Amino acid sequence: METRFCLIQNHPLFLKEGKSLLKWNGWGYKDSKFSINKDQHVEFTGERYRLSGSTMPLLREWMKKTVGISLEHKSPSQSCTQDLNLVLENHDDVVKAVELAVKYNVVIIPFGGGTTVTSSLECPAFEKRMIVSLDTSQMNHILWVDEKNLTVRAECGIIGQDLERRLEERGYCTGHEPDSMEFSSLGGWVATRASGMKKNIYGNIEDLLVHVRFVTPRGVMEKSCQVPRMSSGPDIHHIILGSEGTMGVVTEVTLKIRPLPPCKKYGSIVFPSFENGVSCLREVAAQRCAPASIRLMDNEQFQFGAALKPESKSMLTNFMDGLKKFYITKLKGFDPNKLAVATLLFEGTKEEVAALEKRVYEIAAKFGGLPGGADNGERGYMLTFVIAYLRDLGFEYYIVAESFETSVPWDRCLDLCQNVKERLRRECKERRIQFPPYITCRVTQTYDAGACVYFYFGFNYRGISDPVHVYEEIESCARDEILANGGSISHHHGVGKIRKQWLKKTVGELGVGTMKALKAYIDPQNIFANNNLMMGNHSKL
Amino acid sequence: MKSNADDPKLVSARHKDVFEDILEERRTSSDLRFAARARDVPRFRLNKERPPHKIKEDVLKSDRVQYAIEQVCQDTGLPKAEVINQAKTIVDEMAHNLRTGAIRVFAFFLMKVLKQLYQRIYVNEEGIEKVRMLIQDYPILLMPTHRSYMDFLLMSYVFYHYDLPLPVIAAAMDFMGMKFFGWLLRNSGAFYIRRSFGEDTLYWAVFTEYVQTQICNGDSPIEFYVEGTRSRTSKSYAPKFGMLSAALEPYFKAHIPDIMVIPVSISYDRILEESLYAYELLGVPKPKESTSGLIKARKVLEEDFGNVHIFFGEPISIRQFSEGRVDRSKHSLAPRYIVSLTQEEQEMIRVFGHHVVLVHQHNMVISVWSMVAAILVQSQQGVTVRQMLREVEWMKRLASNLGAYIDWPVNESAETMLRASLALHHNIISINNDDVIQLQVAPPIVRGNAVQQHVAVMQTAAQHVMLSMYRNQIIHVFIRPAMIALSINSCRGEELSLDDLYQKYVFLENLLCRDFVFVPDNTRKDFEHTLSTLAHIGALVLEAGAIAVKKSINKTISFLSHMLEPFLIGYWVMCQFLLSSRLQVSAKPLARTQKTLVKEMQALSARLLQEGVIHHYEVLSMDMANNCLHALYHMGGVSKEKRDGVLYMYPNVAQLSTITEQIGKYIDVPPLPAVSIDLHTKTITVNAKL
Ligand SMILES: Cc1cc2nc3c(=O)[nH]c(=O)nc-3n(C[C@H](O)[C@H](O)[C@H](O)COP(=O)(O)OP(=O)(O)OC[C@H]3O[C@@H](n4cnc5c(N)ncnc54)[C@H](O)[C@@H]3O)c2cc1C
Repeated sequence: METRFCLIQNHPLFLKEGKSLLKWNGWGYKDSKFSINKDQHVEFTGERYRLSGSTMPLLREWMKKTVGISLEHKSPSQSCTQDLNLVLENHDDVVKAVELAVKYNVVIIPFGGGTTVTSSLECPAFEKRMIVSLDTSQMNHILWVDEKNLTVRAECGIIGQDLERRLEERGYCTGHEPDSMEFSSLGGWVATRASGMKKNIYGNIEDLLVHVRFVTPRGVMEKSCQVPRMSSGPDIHHIILGSEGTMGVVTEVTLKIRPLPPCKKYGSIVFPSFENGVSCLREVAAQRCAPASIRLMDNEQFQFGAALKPESKSMLTNFMDGLKKFYITKLKGFDPNKLAVATLLFEGTKEEVAALEKRVYEIAAKFGGLPGGADNGERGYMLTFVIAYLRDLGFEYYIVAESFETSVPWDRCLDLCQNVKERLRRECKERRIQFPPYITCRVTQTYDAGACVYFYFGFNYRGISDPVHVYEEIESCARDEILANGGSISHHHGVGKIRKQWLKKTVGELGVGTMKALKAYIDPQNIFANNNLMMGNHSKL
Repeated sequence: MKSNADDPKLVSARHKDVFEDILEERRTSSDLRFAARARDVPRFRLNKERPPHKIKEDVLKSDRVQYAIEQVCQDTGLPKAEVINQAKTIVDEMAHNLRTGAIRVFAFFLMKVLKQLYQRIYVNEEGIEKVRMLIQDYPILLMPTHRSYMDFLLMSYVFYHYDLPLPVIAAAMDFMGMKFFGWLLRNSGAFYIRRSFGEDTLYWAVFTEYVQTQICNGDSPIEFYVEGTRSRTSKSYAPKFGMLSAALEPYFKAHIPDIMVIPVSISYDRILEESLYAYELLGVPKPKESTSGLIKARKVLEEDFGNVHIFFGEPISIRQFSEGRVDRSKHSLAPRYIVSLTQEEQEMIRVFGHHVVLVHQHNMVISVWSMVAAILVQSQQGVTVRQMLREVEWMKRLASNLGAYIDWPVNESAETMLRASLALHHNIISINNDDVIQLQVAPPIVRGNAVQQHVAVMQTAAQHVMLSMYRNQIIHVFIRPAMIALSINSCRGEELSLDDLYQKYVFLENLLCRDFVFVPDNTRKDFEHTLSTLAHIGALVLEAGAIAVKKSINKTISFLSHMLEPFLIGYWVMCQFLLSSRLQVSAKPLARTQKTLVKEMQALSARLLQEGVIHHYEVLSMDMANNCLHALYHMGGVSKEKRDGVLYMYPNVAQLSTITEQIGKYIDVPPLPAVSIDLHTKTITVNAKL
């Protein structure tokens, strides 16, 4: 396993091959997926994850109970279409390509890792011109590492896990770890204003970004120096960050790097309820002592995590689990149908980690939280990586499921979670979806003034003719509800095409107008015509 | 079991159409057992259980109240501890103490009283089942009509009967003073609100939080009256928005995903307070409620008040109602405990309040008696039983065509229905030897002093006012058609264009907007809808886009027009009175307080009635006079002016003359003798010659 990665890593065509390791009709690697084995139990295949090769005996029951899946009902598989590719090697190639596109009036859609969840890569159906997908996958080199200033310069196409792995060899990391880091690219992060799990230590992409080269139809936009901060009018980086491929191509990026932390430790806290958990996270944020990552799962997600528990190899572990369950549920009066779990990741020196651990667990105790062990913490993070695979299994069994996220001020966090869940439930009811939908959320990031909340929502669509459309309608209601609850259009996924209808409401008429004016100046011919964000029609204004 | 046919008082059975009587089984089983039985009530899914004292604590700890305390400290310079104490006092005065024990005592007594007072209490069970379902998923607001103190007793009893969580009720302070009763009510879920607390920041904050925290947590269904206060006239009152705004704010500010409003229409065959109301309307002050007064009211228990119909209307989802009308995200830019509703939200609340009142009206159960009353008001000399039977059947058809629900089971004959209702209201009407149904009035005092005469007039008037109160139970069905009918009936020409008709309609709506409830900005729609209904039932004839006046004068049109006559006469007298008073102090019109104006106008009306110039005793109603002044104010006929903190009114002669003249176009106005009034000596000089 390791050797194969090393081999591929140094191969310039890694991603060409890498890509063929990926599924075309779902998330992730071809060899990794959930499937039903001959004993009718769910199994996770492959060798890539901690969960790989295990059977999860509880999962089937859970699926049946919560979403009404039954293994007898398999849905026909879906199909998708493929794109035309222009594979480029470096910045100069991109400059040339864009010049030619301008000359011949050809549409360019930059393509990074393809992990977008906003339909931002979709070609607009009404586009009459030729459309070129600008494939950045081979622009995957680290150009230099500057240990004096602690920065790295890399090409846009480099994939998250490769960037980190290669920096790791030199004792560094960027610390930017979006959940999609196995497949998403550096350029993609900049273009979507991505957010990483460990932003509490390292910052989000906008905090990490020191310099960026941006190839536009008018030429290259970039700053002339690589300084930590400057006052030079509105920051041009903020025009590029989150531009979602509407104005140009990110080709080269300088990010901050940090020495690898000597100590890394998972942790978890069990709270009697989600409310207690949110109060605790708020306090942790207020005291600015959040570890690298702190996430709070609601009860539904906790139950799901429990169902994902692999079959245990030894009797002893089972016994210990049982004991723990008893301790939590009976002794301390925790209701297993109410409790919520926070997962933690600490990074730093051993002393730093120990001190922070102590502080965080002390705060947690004030809110009735009990330490739940490192193992549960790690399992929690693993869950976020494999959950994307589970979605594909679900789809085979009449489950349509997706996630969406938002950011919200602290004072409205709980109400937002509750109201969005209620709204989803009601919309399902009104659309006569027979089975109870699966709705769960977690608070995934904490900030001084608010939090990021992530929802999973899925339902069993047996008996519904147009499930994807129904799903979209319901998600749209959920977004309305989010906005009504003081939440945002998106914390990190971006706008793409699927959330355009809320952009004007979010930034106002003038905001959209300004974006359009920038677009009109930078790309008067509309070469980057992917129709994302502020472009084109904004229905439902 | 008694057969219904044998008992003229029991005109219908336990089950009737959509209704079920909830008293019958109580008459044959143990009250004690019923009051003591186990109650398994549904609960709101997101509810976190807390006892009443915890609610109080939460209120005091809330952001909103804390913020208000800070503000008051800043504004008044009082020490914080003192302001906190004030807040405590307010919440103690306000809060209910809903407890199972008290509920059982309450239910026990209530059951006994209700069985005494009423023959049957009908409830539409389907509505109850909806409430039962919804309670689990939504915070519930109950908005019943308010025609009697019995309203909230009945509501609580119904909820007790059906094993639903007892509502907490926003009650006015009047009850609090009563010793035992006040205590019992508080422990059965009543919470007390001061009638006015306009500028009191702290009170407002405590009140708002107290209501909202219970809505958000869905502790109990919350019950309050959109009309604000008991209607003394049995007409709907215009909605009030204070409590409604406070109740809906948690939705606008997204504390909760939705709120369900259940409009409840409570229809009484006979209203407990009928004569009290009548005197109150005439200006005889209402006795303050007190426990001893209540005991005196035991006499009341010996009387028969017929049936009550309680109709739980279709639940209204606030989310659905406000869809497209409000944008909740507007509250994202400030902390939610700072009071602020957007313009759109206030507008929506206004529309919603009116909507609920109209739903109330639509769901009222109309008794045969209210039709009898409507007919008698128009025929003061009396109507024979035979004639009345015909009239009632005719009117029933008309009212049904206009969408009213008439309490008239198919198997009951007109005669049975009529006799039963006449029996029930024997205190208002009598049937003489010639079988003529007449209003019971004391014989006029021929030789007596002014005071005695005044008392006699008022006694007669009370009977009339009571009768009109029962007519009012049905008047909402006819009001819009009546406005069109009156416009046609008073037209001198051959035809009336729809534009002119609409203008006349608009004038009437403006004029009557206080006496009747119209949805704001809905005049055109109302008009068109009513017009087409009338055309549909053949009440008017449209030719070439205009009303063919002659062909449209028929029984329906003239009946409907006459329905409005008392109001227009009353308004006209008020106008004349205002105009006549202008000459008294040089050129400047004389300004008086509204109260004085109403009193003087009443004195004048009394005189005109005695002189036989006008015939509708209803114009003595202070309610009508007040409504008239309000309308005139809005139409520019009178102005208000504050002097030394007192509000005065004075006529705007030009505008008022125009209005008066216009009123005169709708009805035949009597030749008015010149009058002068001296209120101090209660002398009115009528100068028969102009
Ligand atoms: C399972 C899963 C988990 C995820 N978790 C996270 C997360 O934790 N945090 C997070 O922020 N996001 C997350 N995402 C969303 C997604 O991974 C991010 O938006 C990511 O930044 C997209 O990068 P990409 O390289 O895959 O871009 P693509 O999907 O290829 O493209 C996204 C957009 O960026 C444009 N673009 C791509 N490359 C360039 C370039 N070089 N120059 C100009 N425009 C370009 C494209 O035109 C398109 O509009 C997740 C997605 C999935 C499926």
